[in-house]
Amino acid sequence: MVVGDFAQDVQTVIIGAGPGGYVAAIRAAQLGQEVFLIEKELTGGVCLNWGCIPTKAMIEVSGLKAHLEKASEMGITVKEIRVDLAKLHSWKAGIVQRLRNGVETLLQKNGVELIRGEAIFSEPGKLMVESERGIQRVSYENVIIATGSRPIELADLPFDGATIIDSNAAIELKEPPEHLLVVGAGSVGIELGTVYRNLGSEVTIIETQETLLPWIDPEISRVLQRSIKKAGIDLKLGSRITATESNNGRVSMTIQQNGKKQLLDADKVLIAIGRRPNTDGMGLRELGLQTDDRGFIQVNQKMQTNLAGVYAIGDVVAGPMLAHRASHMGKIAAEVISGEPAAFDNVVVPGVIFSSLEIASVGLTEQQATEQGYSVKAGVFPFRALGRAMTLGEADGVTKVISDADSGTVLGVHIIGSHASDLIAEGGLAVESGAHVDDLSLTIHAHPTLTEGIMEAAEDIEHKAIHIFNPPVKK
Amino acid sequence: MKFVFRLPDVGEGIHEAEVINYEVAVGDAVQADQVVIKVETDKAVVTLPSPVTGTVLETPLNPGDIVEVGGALIVLEAEGDSELTVSENDQLAEVAASKSKKKADKSIPVIAGMETPLSPIQAKRVLATPHTRHLARRLGIDISTVSGTGRAGRVTDDDVHRAAETGPAVSTGHQRSSLVGHDATSAGFDFEKYGPTQREPLKGIRKRIAEVMVRSYTTIPHVTHADEADITDLMNVVRSQKPAAEARGIKLTLTTFLTKAVVAALKQFPDLNASIDDGAGEIVFKNYFHIGIATDTEHGLMVPVVQNADQKSVLQIARDIQQLAEKARNREIDLDELRGGTFTITNPGVIGGIHATPIIQHPQVAILATLAARKRPVVRDDEIVIRTMMPMVIAFDHRLIDGATGARFMNYIISLLQDPMKMMLDMV
Ligand SMILES: Cc1cc2nc3c(=O)[nH]c(=O)nc-3n(C[C@H](O)[C@H](O)[C@H](O)COP(=O)(O)OP(=O)(O)OC[C@H]3O[C@@H](n4cnc5c(N)ncnc54)[C@H](O)[C@@H]3O)c2cc1C
Repeated sequence: MVVGDFAQDVQTVIIGAGPGGYVAAIRAAQLGQEVFLIEKELTGGVCLNWGCIPTKAMIEVSGLKAHLEKASEMGITVKEIRVDLAKLHSWKAGIVQRLRNGVETLLQKNGVELIRGEAIFSEPGKLMVESERGIQRVSYENVIIATGSRPIELADLPFDGATIIDSNAAIELKEPPEHLLVVGAGSVGIELGTVYRNLGSEVTIIETQETLLPWIDPEISRVLQRSIKKAGIDLKLGSRITATESNNGRVSMTIQQNGKKQLLDADKVLIAIGRRPNTDGMGLRELGLQTDDRGFIQVNQKMQTNLAGVYAIGDVVAGPMLAHRASHMGKIAAEVISGEPAAFDNVVVPGVIFSSLEIASVGLTEQQATEQGYSVKAGVFPFRALGRAMTLGEADGVTKVISDADSGTVLGVHIIGSHASDLIAEGGLAVESGAHVDDLSLTIHAHPTLTEGIMEAAEDIEHKAIHIFNPPVKK
Repeated sequence: MKFVFRLPDVGEGIHEAEVINYEVAVGDAVQADQVVIKVETDKAVVTLPSPVTGTVLETPLNPGDIVEVGGALIVLEAEGDSELTVSENDQLAEVAASKSKKKADKSIPVIAGMETPLSPIQAKRVLATPHTRHLARRLGIDISTVSGTGRAGRVTDDDVHRAAETGPAVSTGHQRSSLVGHDATSAGFDFEKYGPTQREPLKGIRKRIAEVMVRSYTTIPHVTHADEADITDLMNVVRSQKPAAEARGIKLTLTTFLTKAVVAALKQFPDLNASIDDGAGEIVFKNYFHIGIATDTEHGLMVPVVQNADQKSVLQIARDIQQLAEKARNREIDLDELRGGTFTITNPGVIGGIHATPIIQHPQVAILATLAARKRPVVRDDEIVIRTMMPMVIAFDHRLIDGATGARFMNYIISLLQDPMKMMLDMV
């Protein structure tokens, strides 16, 4: 490729090849746009290379180990379970590699030009791509910013890649730490804490909030808290760091919890307090792009920013930082550029957390629905009453369906338990389509499956679930 | 946590409001349920209470601004219920405070990325499948303006198609409502060419009246029928009972009795208490009798509604009318008190006149106007006598009511007004 002053003209440039950017690129190409996709690191972005995929591989392996350890009552006795982390990492790397190749093949087949390098805006309608090969200039009609996010550092415990680590490093550890201290009980902290606990580490999670995941239905977070405890993780809610000291590859941290001081000593500290958008250092401000005080780009339902022809999608847009949200936004931006009537009018973005139990949620919690003025009817059904859950050896969990008592509309579905992340799809369809609870309870659900929990929770709203006792209703 | 209080959907048909004033200022502490802003919607001034306790951060609007449903009214820093974001900020600050070697950069935008709520959901939303919503976008229809015929107001594909065929195509946001039925508008008309003028924005109640009247007049084929009633005896009753009512603080008027007579007539002629549901292609007969009383206020016409007039005594009705009129004049009336009417009575007679052509309030199907009652020579048993005669005009929707029915309805009302004894018997 010629590198130099000569600027290439293109209809659509997409910056960042994460689940937002590469999906936008493919959809744009499907619609006949001429597309450049610029990526400074790896195709697939955080999600494919350091996030969703590798963490799920590790959750699966560590969960399998935990399962086998408990499998004696199923008749499996395993003499010794050893986890070869090096082997795990290469298996995981293989998956990531295959998926990345798949994405790149798709991009190529769709005629998307993938440009390696870092994009920096030079003036409206123009940008430069910097790489070892020099600078390439591109002028564009439309640009989609899909540059994602990166972890936030704790000012006093800056990442050193060895002892104080972010999630990128945490998925590459050569061996399980002796004591892993996780700062922040969000999804990343809970997921990776669970992984290393199952792999044999002592794990402590500290969190300033008094409640675990306070926006989650309390009935669900209570089950989660129990399962975290059962897994042997020390979860310290409502605790604050008051002092830290690091020496010789160890960190000692003083925390205050319930007015009491405690000293913790760890060989690894995972900082998982959240992520910030990658919107700095690429000339966006000079361009006049509006961001909020936290650096998130403001967009409308069409993913348009305050500048004509400039779109933003994914983690750079305030809201839940989730890959599927990024991808959906990517399709919308691409379609809007082609003049299609697309808009982000979605009612729900499913939330998922993968720990020893999975949590998945769409729509309103009971409390939110009440606050919004609905008269709420909720139905709950426990996993332990599902035949399939028993045969899986996964009896912990509940399914909860929230409905509007006046209209019967399904307002939310919340699940904790095995395979919740897959089960939630039905809830997503129900809430997004404005289904009636009868639509859930009168649809035949295959037996024995975990999906029966949704059907029975919907029936429970009318006190007519079969597999939990409901006293007869007097007519 | 930052909380943006948005204009709630206060009810059917209202999609915008005009800001009158804020009741609080930036920096003020606000309790949940404390009134923060006053806006004018539909026909009433409404005060809106804050759903949360907190401190006012921004008051983005100015008096006179029009805000649409969902538009930001006020931004608050809400107390409690903080996101993880907040606590982590604290944590940063804690660490920074605990050690002095390194200075924490407190300006780091701390976002608990995935730690934000798992799945945000919009407040009361349009009930429609993703496909239907997409269809509406494709046809250039703002789906929030389409009234759904499905269960619980669900908007169906058919509703969207119908809106596309009949309604104005709205691409984004709220359309400028058309105040005329056809293409002929006076937009751009050069009034100033012919002499000096003043211009004022057409807004608030005036605008609402204009919209409602255009809808009524262009939707309903009006027929009017006029007659007169001899109210001599009835006026005697009113006069003789007035002091007794006044002793209880109630102003007894002819309208009170008229309301009773109308309810009795509506029971005999249910067609006049009905509506046409265009969407469903059905006639809706209402088993309730809510009578709108047109009220002249300095802000314009308002029609407060006497609820369940069939279940109320004459005095109760009189008191309702009195209180509603007062509220309307002081602009303290609730939207709910302006809605749900099944029939309207208007009395331009207090000002004068012997004939009128009242406009029906869609989706009602009839309106009764009473005109100036005067003593007149009339012939009774071939003798000329002096009687108090009141002209009346009824306008009705000819789609539903034929001329004969309208005339019979009128005759029945006249028979009651002329004979207070009969009215007493027929009052239910
Ligand atoms: C440990 C972890 C686990 C996660 N698990 C899940 C999960 O299970 N489910 C889920 O939905 N989400 C999960 N996420 C979140 C998910 O990874 C993100 O929401 C998603 O990757 C966002 O996609 P994106 O396209 O917006 O940005 P990213 O995936 O961050 O991609 C942005 C890309 O832009 C590139 N880039 C940035 N700046 C430039 C520039 N100037 N020029 C060129 N290229 C640039 C970056 O190199 C990057 O490849 C997880 C995240 C983490 C950290």
